[in-house]
Amino acid sequence: MDKRVEKTTDWLDERLGIAKGARSSLNKIFPDHWSFMLGEIALYSFIVLLFTGVFLTLFYVPSSQPIIYHGSYAPLRGQTMSEAYASTLHISFSVRAGLVMRQMHHWAANIFVAAIVVHLCRVFFTGSFRKPREINWIVGSILLILAIVNGFIGYSLPDDLISGTGIRIAFSIVESIPLVGSYLAFFLFGGNYPGNAIIPRFYTIHVLLVPALIVVLLAAHLGIMYHQKHTQYPAPKRTNKNVVGSVLWPTYALEAGGFFFITAAVIAALGGLVQINPIWLYGPYIPYKVSYAVQPDWYMGWLDGALRLMPSWEIVGFGHMIPNVFFPAVLLPGLTFTALSLWPFIEKKITKDDQVHNICDRPRDNPWRTSLGVGILTFYIVLFFASSTDVLANTFNTSLNFVLWTFRILLIALPPVAGYVTYMLTKETATVADAGLRKGPVVITRSEDGEYSTVVTDDDSSGADVNFELIEVPEEREYRQVVEGNETDRELVGVSESSPSGDNGGVSHKKATAQRSGGSGIFRIPRNLPGGGGLFGGRGLKRQQRDAQER
Amino acid sequence: MKAALRGVKSSRAKALGVSVFVSGVVGCAGLFAFGGGVASAQSHYQSSSGKEVKSVTFTQPDRPPIVYQKPSSSLIPQGRTLFIENCSTCHGIDAVGSSRAPNLQGLGAATIDFWVYTGRMPLADPTVQAIQKPRKFNRQQTLAIAAYVSSLAPGGPAIPSVNVAGANISQGESLFSTNCAACHTITGVGDALANNVYAPSLYGVGATQIAEAIRTGPGNMPRFGNGTLSNAQVADVVKYVLYLQKPQDPGGISLGHVGPVTEGFVGILIGLGGLMLFGYWIGGRAQR
Repeated sequence: MDKRVEKTTDWLDERLGIAKGARSSLNKIFPDHWSFMLGEIALYSFIVLLFTGVFLTLFYVPSSQPIIYHGSYAPLRGQTMSEAYASTLHISFSVRAGLVMRQMHHWAANIFVAAIVVHLCRVFFTGSFRKPREINWIVGSILLILAIVNGFIGYSLPDDLISGTGIRIAFSIVESIPLVGSYLAFFLFGGNYPGNAIIPRFYTIHVLLVPALIVVLLAAHLGIMYHQKHTQYPAPKRTNKNVVGSVLWPTYALEAGGFFFITAAVIAALGGLVQINPIWLYGPYIPYKVSYAVQPDWYMGWLDGALRLMPSWEIVGFGHMIPNVFFPAVLLPGLTFTALSLWPFIEKKITKDDQVHNICDRPRDNPWRTSLGVGILTFYIVLFFASSTDVLANTFNTSLNFVLWTFRILLIALPPVAGYVTYMLTKETATVADAGLRKGPVVITRSEDGEYSTVVTDDDSSGADVNFELIEVPEEREYRQVVEGNETDRELVGVSESSPSGDNGGVSHKKATAQRSGGSGIFRIPRNLPGGGGLFGGRGLKRQQRDAQER
Repeated sequence: MKAALRGVKSSRAKALGVSVFVSGVVGCAGLFAFGGGVASAQSHYQSSSGKEVKSVTFTQPDRPPIVYQKPSSSLIPQGRTLFIENCSTCHGIDAVGSSRAPNLQGLGAATIDFWVYTGRMPLADPTVQAIQKPRKFNRQQTLAIAAYVSSLAPGGPAIPSVNVAGANISQGESLFSTNCAACHTITGVGDALANNVYAPSLYGVGATQIAEAIRTGPGNMPRFGNGTLSNAQVADVVKYVLYLQKPQDPGGISLGHVGPVTEGFVGILIGLGGLMLFGYWIGGRAQR
């Protein structure tokens, strides 16, 4: 077997010269840290999206053609609906494993975008976007935009009542752009709303155009990362010019491969056990129908929240009114993504920092960036929660208007507060000497006066030697007097059995070694101290007397 | 860059990698089979119940979709006593209303039955929208009050009895999404409307009360009279609302039928959160 593999690889090496590249690739070093796994979640959920998506394309019909439904879902039988909606019902009720695939696809999309956002926060707060990684930051920003756009379009494809309302809102948002809005909307929708073109067009964009772009940019994202090598957190022996971690083969490849299956498992569990987007309850989209309380998927929530919070101002310029929707739904995301993509250059302008950085900042080491980031993030989190004003008002039995105004105030007030608090916290941790260091195991000792003190042990594997004097504590002295009054009973008492010397009832003035107790690993109380034996394992005086009497 | 350093505890890391890989594969296969099995079992069960629904959609021409019945006039004395005890403080002894409460004469038995039997009356706080409470009167007492008030003046619908079995659920869905979903939401869970007004949840409401609400328009709800919805159409809507109270959930846990809000929280907290815990297991903390 090994011979055959060797032969094949030799054959390939002689023709393609793969050995050199393969060796360096297999020995590639990846630093270990939980925060470096966040981007991987996004990557793996994207792979799940591809697989489940291909399955769905086998049954989905991208057509607005009205047909009469004769499928297995009784509450909609006989109704006129688009072929797109009917085929989604077919996938949900009649295709074997169709529903679990559709639900996995939807959960995977939610997790995909969430993982991208968390990954972005990690890169931002650790300053991993600094030279030489600015290009990869821009690629990542574009990937986020593409993921959100494709999520929204995929959400619209079933052509149910709720997603149809979403498309209606999207049409109005495009229309609100000054000068070109109506032309752009008609161009995109192939005429006035709703028309017959948008579902087939969305389908092409969703399954071909955007996924292809994502694959290409993802390859670039990973390729650049591979070429530039991974960042790492500061630690002894780690410098700006090395990478410390696990080798690709076999360690890291197995970890990453296993993590792919774990990601797929979590998505499959959600897809099989938790219902998402029950389109059969929403009914087919008919433009004159509307359901109250329409929310988009979570990643569009901040835009929906911005639409809800925007006051009904009508701003007039040059004799024309700029539609109100333009500000929260076009200007805000436009500014957001522009500032996001250009952030490495904006920060460089401020800090004038032109060094190569392969060591991450810890968030607390850079108070300004961290607090600014937390402030801006808070702004978007408030917008995100604002998209559920009606659900919150209904859940907490309060007025919708009250909730709305609360969010408007929070949107202005909370970001500076959050930023300021973060700034003070980061400043505070800078003054603490061993902030963030892992606590070592200690031995807790007690003096005769009842004062406790801790002795740090240097090794956590084998209960290290700690030098301390064993002393007779007052309770024990009292106990000994009780016990020594009766010589014959002494042997029956548990403490004398467990004492190392055995001659005077567990009282020892010799040096003892701390041993691993049965209790918690942090609070180690030596077992040979009387009344010891774990945190609460010691027997009380009265109990011991009672035991002695019983015998 | 210099050649990279190998990991210090490479054998331990390798063991972690292997265990992650194995548990990932096993977990993935197991959960996929389990989830798919649950989902397909549920859809199988649901499709068989769907056939039952089909078998009862035969219309029964001999029974009308809704029969309106006046409560028996023998209940009027009991109703008068109950009304004077519980309602007359605000509505007046002859139900002509006051500065605090509206005139009830000529509203019909259905209105009285709806407000009293859903627990909205007697009212706890007249300044806010009446809430659905545990009902104070049993069926007979409610009918008695309705009999008394409707005996004071003619007019208004009597108490409807809906032939749910003969109704068409698909028609009901179409009418519900056109007329009701704009406030009660498409899944009927209800929601907050502007300024302290809300559309109540439709869960746990009986067929008669649903028909009464449609016909009489309680509170902010519009009244759907005979010219807007025929008796057959009202019965269709009632049937669909009853279905919505326990709809088919072949996909698993329903998350309250609230839609993307709860789905987003599950996706982020359980989905991403769970994966981040696994990531913490694999990646570990920073070494110092």
